[in-house]
Amino acid sequence: MRYFLRRWMQAVFLLIGVSILTFLFSAIAPGNYFDEMRLNPQISPETVAALRAQYQLDRPLPVRYARWVNSLLHGEMGFSFANNSPVAPLLWARARNTLLLTLTATLIAWALALPLGIWSAETRGRLPDRALSGATAALLVIPELVLALGLLILAVRSGWFPTGGMFSVGFEILSPMQKFRDVAWHMELPVLALVLSALPILVRHVRAAVAEVLDAPFLRAAASHGIPQRTLHYKYALRAAANPLISLFGFSLGVLLSGSLLVEVVMSWPGLGPLLLEAILARDLYVVIGGVLCSTIFLVAGNFFADVLMYWADPRIRTGAAAK
Amino acid sequence: MIQLSGWKRWLLAIVVLHGIVACAGFFAPYDPTEQDREHPYLPPMRIHLVDTQGHFHFRPFFYAEQLRVGSFDQFEERSQQAIPLRFFVTGARYDLLGLLPFRTHLFGAEASRVYLLGSDAYGRDQLSRILYGGQISLLAGMLGAGLTLLIGVLIGATAGYLGGWRDGLLMRVAELFMALPWLYLLFALRAFLPLSVSPVQAFFLIILVIGAVGWARPARLVRGVVLSARERDFVRAARGFGATDSYLLRRHILPETSSVILTQAAILVPQFVLAEMTLSFLGLGVPEPVPSWGSLLASLQQYSVLVSYWWMYLPALAIVPFFLGYLGLASALQQDAGTEKIVRTAGGSRW
Amino acid sequence: MDRLLIVEKIEKRYGRAHVLGAKQEVTALLDVSFSIGRGSTLALVGESGSGKSTLALCIACLERPTSGKIVFNRNEITVLDEKQLREVRPQIQLVFQDPARSLNPRFSALELVSEPLLVQGRLDKREREARARALLGQVGIPQEKALQRAEEFSGGQRQRLAIARALSLEPKLLILDEALSALDCSVQAQIANLLMELQGRLGLTYLFITHDFAMAGHLAHEIAVMEQGRVVEIGAADEVLGTPNQEVTRRLVAAMPRLTAEAHAPRAV
Repeated sequence: MRYFLRRWMQAVFLLIGVSILTFLFSAIAPGNYFDEMRLNPQISPETVAALRAQYQLDRPLPVRYARWVNSLLHGEMGFSFANNSPVAPLLWARARNTLLLTLTATLIAWALALPLGIWSAETRGRLPDRALSGATAALLVIPELVLALGLLILAVRSGWFPTGGMFSVGFEILSPMQKFRDVAWHMELPVLALVLSALPILVRHVRAAVAEVLDAPFLRAAASHGIPQRTLHYKYALRAAANPLISLFGFSLGVLLSGSLLVEVVMSWPGLGPLLLEAILARDLYVVIGGVLCSTIFLVAGNFFADVLMYWADPRIRTGAAAK
Repeated sequence: MIQLSGWKRWLLAIVVLHGIVACAGFFAPYDPTEQDREHPYLPPMRIHLVDTQGHFHFRPFFYAEQLRVGSFDQFEERSQQAIPLRFFVTGARYDLLGLLPFRTHLFGAEASRVYLLGSDAYGRDQLSRILYGGQISLLAGMLGAGLTLLIGVLIGATAGYLGGWRDGLLMRVAELFMALPWLYLLFALRAFLPLSVSPVQAFFLIILVIGAVGWARPARLVRGVVLSARERDFVRAARGFGATDSYLLRRHILPETSSVILTQAAILVPQFVLAEMTLSFLGLGVPEPVPSWGSLLASLQQYSVLVSYWWMYLPALAIVPFFLGYLGLASALQQDAGTEKIVRTAGGSRW
Repeated sequence: MDRLLIVEKIEKRYGRAHVLGAKQEVTALLDVSFSIGRGSTLALVGESGSGKSTLALCIACLERPTSGKIVFNRNEITVLDEKQLREVRPQIQLVFQDPARSLNPRFSALELVSEPLLVQGRLDKREREARARALLGQVGIPQEKALQRAEEFSGGQRQRLAIARALSLEPKLLILDEALSALDCSVQAQIANLLMELQGRLGLTYLFITHDFAMAGHLAHEIAVMEQGRVVEIGAADEVLGTPNQEVTRRLVAAMPRLTAEAHAPRAV
């Protein structure tokens, strides 16, 4: 229990720290939404001043932060000037889409990386391993932006994939099953881009972790007891390699979240990415802060989940905790 | 062929690539801002050795392009007008390496412009734009990486050497920076700085933003090295005969960090070039008319461009050889140092 | 005889903060007292963990004892502040056990030996180099190798470099912390002879810390035996070896490999 308490405290501190950090960044902003508005001759300066006072942007920073935290605890996240609506509902709708994309990509990437990495470790030095190494090296060398754009052009010219968005026209009149398939079809390209970008590094790490374990004496002993190879590799080796792999899981979440930002923008997937970009271009302060905080929450939650997994998978942590 | 050991081979490749970009003026046939409104969105021209009558020519040549009858954006070759490709031509003035005025270009043609990689909406030569754009993107990446490493070394060395609460505090802050998905952090930082600035201001702003994002991982690595170096016997011995902290850091401890710093540099530079590309692509980076690889790709955000003008994607491929070179270098350096760890970077996208 | 170093009732405790907050204390030294005469050698013998290295650090002014008194050259150094200590430190030099670790492998022999002078700001560049070369000569390192990097020397040669470095500041007291233990047997003998020769020539005083009783008997005038942070027996070398009082001493003496009686005859005072 102590273990979880500690992790939980760390997560909370991290979130507080991140929120302060983003707020601090916003303080150094030499301009804001209202300065841009002021340049607009159609809006009178009195209106601007009134709006500013209404949103309390003329109060000192710690006050603004305190009020923001207060509203946060009430489930609000400030106001979006550009969209003229509260930030929170705006965020959740988009966040849901981002989560859908990121989680799907994570699951698929790991579902592929584990067997591929294990296979690579099993056949160390031989053809399958070398071929995989070459393939991962080739993929690693192609940055995400290049990959996403390339896939998009492929989609456009071949017509195999939809070229953006999350729904087709006429989505509302489809049956639930058809709706599901429509969204899935639209998800194919962005998920492909994310998976391809994350796969090489996951495969390499799985291979490294499993290869290290395969050499261990206890595994050889188990093999000599006649335990079949598949069981050996998946039950025994994977269990032993779980520790670094679960840390990797947390890391991969961060990678995929960052990646999804770009992929969403390139492929017009209505997630946090395009929202954040719009907000930046419109200097919409609270949306930007909210978006950054949102993604951090996901990341921290993901890492916490990884910690839970670690606890379950590694008995040493359990007994260590009990001893304390 | 000169025999070079592992990492030096990669370094040579990188230097050559950088050299080509640095001498963009020579390799590029035209000025990147020179427009040609009569030939917008021209596809890459084909270079021929055999003409339509089947005659072979030693000097490669190309055909001038004209609008296809009845179309407003489809071009075709004018087989009557064959224009030879000339090498080491005298063309527009440029400053080689920013210093020496030069007029010689590697290749070019008279009477008509040769678009080896096609042209953009304003008829600007893509090849030239890619070469010049590389200067901006690569320079931004290198300076950004330099800034990050500087901050990282300062903070890491301070934390590792002083220890105690200062170490704890600095490392907590580093964890904070590493907890944020880096692209979000980059965006957030960029968001809070003025949007419409001059190209020069934008350039340095980008460097500042990029540099401020990625310092956490190098800082932790440097801290680790400094922490263990501090406890080494020869440091104790030097302290024993009266060495000051600054002497110890300068002569004994920081030299130990050199391999970590070099490896991190090899990892960070391409990542930061990519960061600049991403920012420019989305309109948050270096603005027109200065070309950068990212802004060259910005037109791809339009559906029409995506469908019809595939060669506008080519600038994206320009970075791939650099990634390959730097990744190879980093791998080779790590192998050299005996640590066969997989390449990891400062909270970066896929590393 | 004039006592160069007097150590009285030294205690050293380390507090280690445990993860959950409970402090755990480690007592490295508890009630250590002895003295060394000018120009002579005291061997401090004990098994690993008896606190010898901690004591060496305290005397060399690199650690502060928790309580007790150290008097060096008639100065009470335990009450000095950092600034004053910096004046004293050059007079007490340490030679470590493992020259591979105590010498920066990237430095050249010349750089290593002249480093203390450089750090102390004494002499200009040319004088430093001359002095360093002279020292190299004294410890038997050939001049051609002066620019060779430390990692390219053998263990024995590196220890010579460490000794040369220690001598560069013309110290009065040299603490040799297991300085011979990491060397091969034959090399040990060479370095031991070098040390004795230097003592005779330069009038040095040695605190020779070791777990090797035989070597102690060979080199030292007096022997002090430590166990678990305490000095349990002290006296002239031949007495301690010949008629050990304490149990631990008896054990250590019995464990000595006996080759010939003469080779390990204790030194006359």
